[in-house]
Amino acid sequence: MQQDRNGLPPAEWCATPNAMRLNRLMRMARRDALMGGLGLSVAGLFSSAQAQTAQTAAQSGEVGRFMAVSERLTDRTTLDSRIGTALYVGIVHANPDRQAKIQALATLLENSKPTSAAEFARAAEHEDPSLKEVIHDILAGWYRGVADGKVVVYRSALMFDITKDAVYPKTYATGGPFYWVSKPPEVARPTGKPALTPSPFVIEPT
Amino acid sequence: MSSEQTLSADVVIVGSGVAGSSIANELARAGISVIVLEAGPRVDRQHFVDNFRNLENKPSYQGPFPAVPWARHPPNQMTPNEYLHTSGPNAEAYQQVYLRMMGGTTWHWAGCAWRYLPSDFELKTRYGQGRDWALSYDDLEPFYYQAEVMMGVCGPDPAKEDLGSPRKQPYPMEALPISYAAQQFRKLINEKTPYRVVHEPQARNTRPYDNRPTCEGHNNCMPICPIGAMYNGGYSVYHAEAAGAKFVPNAVVYRIERDSANKRVTAVHYMDPDKGSHRVTGKYFVIAAHCIETAKLLLVSADDQSPNGVANSSGHVGRNMMDHTGVQVTFISGDKALWPGRGPLETNVIDNFRDGSWRSERGAYLVHMVDDNQVDLATQLAISKGYVGKDLEEQIRYLAAHTVRLFSHNEALPDPENRLTLSKTNKDILGIPHPDVYYKLPDYTVKSCEHTRGVFKDLIGLMHGTDEQWTPGYFPQDHPSGSTIMGTDPKDSVVDGFCRTHDHENLFIASSSVFSTVGTGNITLTVAALALRVADTLKKELVHA
Repeated sequence: MQQDRNGLPPAEWCATPNAMRLNRLMRMARRDALMGGLGLSVAGLFSSAQAQTAQTAAQSGEVGRFMAVSERLTDRTTLDSRIGTALYVGIVHANPDRQAKIQALATLLENSKPTSAAEFARAAEHEDPSLKEVIHDILAGWYRGVADGKVVVYRSALMFDITKDAVYPKTYATGGPFYWVSKPPEVARPTGKPALTPSPFVIEPT
Repeated sequence: MSSEQTLSADVVIVGSGVAGSSIANELARAGISVIVLEAGPRVDRQHFVDNFRNLENKPSYQGPFPAVPWARHPPNQMTPNEYLHTSGPNAEAYQQVYLRMMGGTTWHWAGCAWRYLPSDFELKTRYGQGRDWALSYDDLEPFYYQAEVMMGVCGPDPAKEDLGSPRKQPYPMEALPISYAAQQFRKLINEKTPYRVVHEPQARNTRPYDNRPTCEGHNNCMPICPIGAMYNGGYSVYHAEAAGAKFVPNAVVYRIERDSANKRVTAVHYMDPDKGSHRVTGKYFVIAAHCIETAKLLLVSADDQSPNGVANSSGHVGRNMMDHTGVQVTFISGDKALWPGRGPLETNVIDNFRDGSWRSERGAYLVHMVDDNQVDLATQLAISKGYVGKDLEEQIRYLAAHTVRLFSHNEALPDPENRLTLSKTNKDILGIPHPDVYYKLPDYTVKSCEHTRGVFKDLIGLMHGTDEQWTPGYFPQDHPSGSTIMGTDPKDSVVDGFCRTHDHENLFIASSSVFSTVGTGNITLTVAALALRVADTLKKELVHA
């Protein structure tokens, strides 16, 4: 094993001074990394403080309750708890008040036992209008794969799961040249109604 | 601290983008010694791809390309900006982005490789607007073809789809098979409107070409093609290096030295990231550092000999800033599913507004139907509408399959009042001022954008569209041009028709900064053609010498 100089990885101390500086500047932070690999430990995604938060949350059952809330809000029976742990830590890190709000959602879920995401979401907003923003955070986490302004998962975001018969996540096309000429699936106009009151749609600036 | 040895070459080029690297390649292959000084770092493609995948705001084209402190570039299109400081009535319309990296800004272009129309070079003569260029379409035609071969451009058969720019040879590669979404859009426009949709010429492989693979439709031309099926300046860097050209990264040129008569450039001086200064001598010098950085460098080089800046006896360096200002709308089609985002980003253009007698009144423009994966936008929109669970998933599918994005490139005019100057308050870590730009949209462009909005509204109606999201105001299309404008009169222009500066006989400029008008297509192929013409001139002069 190569010697660790001043705690720097070999890629940095083996390089020229300019390359060292570039390595640090051009590389995105470690916690921005994808969680793609199956064997990757959740702790590897976080700073030590966040890893501690994740461990504490898991031990106290917070993550379990977050997973139950997530499954109800997505109308799904299986979600990946490793992704869930990372999302939970990110959501709470971005907004510490989310910890109590998520537990409030969990309590509502346990008490009222809603049979659909829509029923649950309506009841939550009725009980406390501020819970809408937490629900948005949770849905953006699972469907977009982001929390705390960072990518937690890319290809594993649910939005790609539900559109995989038509499009690929950018940079991961596997259809081969000219796959795009073929006719993609038709999509019927949905009949479902919004469960929450609408919010302003803000496109992030480029 | 200064360098122990002076670098020297026949030709010294500042900037390693498509212009600088293609000149270096041509000259090196002719046996001419070349040094290219690039302010930014050398970074590999995979690095940018990884950065993109980790980017939360995926449409942020600058996002995967963080700048280094010694060669900053605009971090985004936001006003105020950390680097490019714009002001004036339309400051936000000139918030351009570009890259200071080995290979240049074509790391994040969409491969749109338009030749300009013959009329684009004669706007004054034909329509009484703007200026004429100091060269004609016919002068540039052979170099357009050379640039198309260099990049590997695919395009339509001219006999079937005439794009208005006469060709002596077919495109180097056959046309790209268009996506289902594009087929449907094309059908609709042909059947229901007086307009047409054409295949946009693309620097993108429809077969293996130049040791690069065929396009696989990753739908990520901007900000980064993951496989190199689309040309970028980095490939010309590789070819030039293989031919013997020397590229120096992290070399920030800050001074252009001339002889005592102020007629010939004798050297350029650059700083490394540690502020060590180095002198590079040569017989000829080419500034190919992007429209904004080129003008900045000429102004920064002001001294007792040239108090207003190098090559600036006309006072026009930094003036006449132009762009293709854009109008953009996203909406949900009420017709059948299109599923945009299958295939490359930009292949379909309505070209009916490129030329006509109305150009005496308002600017020309192109309309792009952007074939962009809309899954992320659909997800954000569906969540904001209040959907959850199964209903949310159905909405995401529906919206992703029906979202349409249109944008335009509207022509500007050269106005000396639209001006780049050196910031008096902001400097980088090397002490070099940031660029400031004052911008007021020409009425010619405003009228053009108004016309575009009308056309877009008609198209939205035709597609039974809802949920219109108009990008507010006017937005920059990152085609800055005009800052070292070309002309025949040294009193009101900076370079001649060969891109040689009027003031200094061995100083050339290869950049969109020389454009006399901004033209009616994406700028890159014209930048490359002008650069290859510079290379041709230099080869003739150096070989004959």
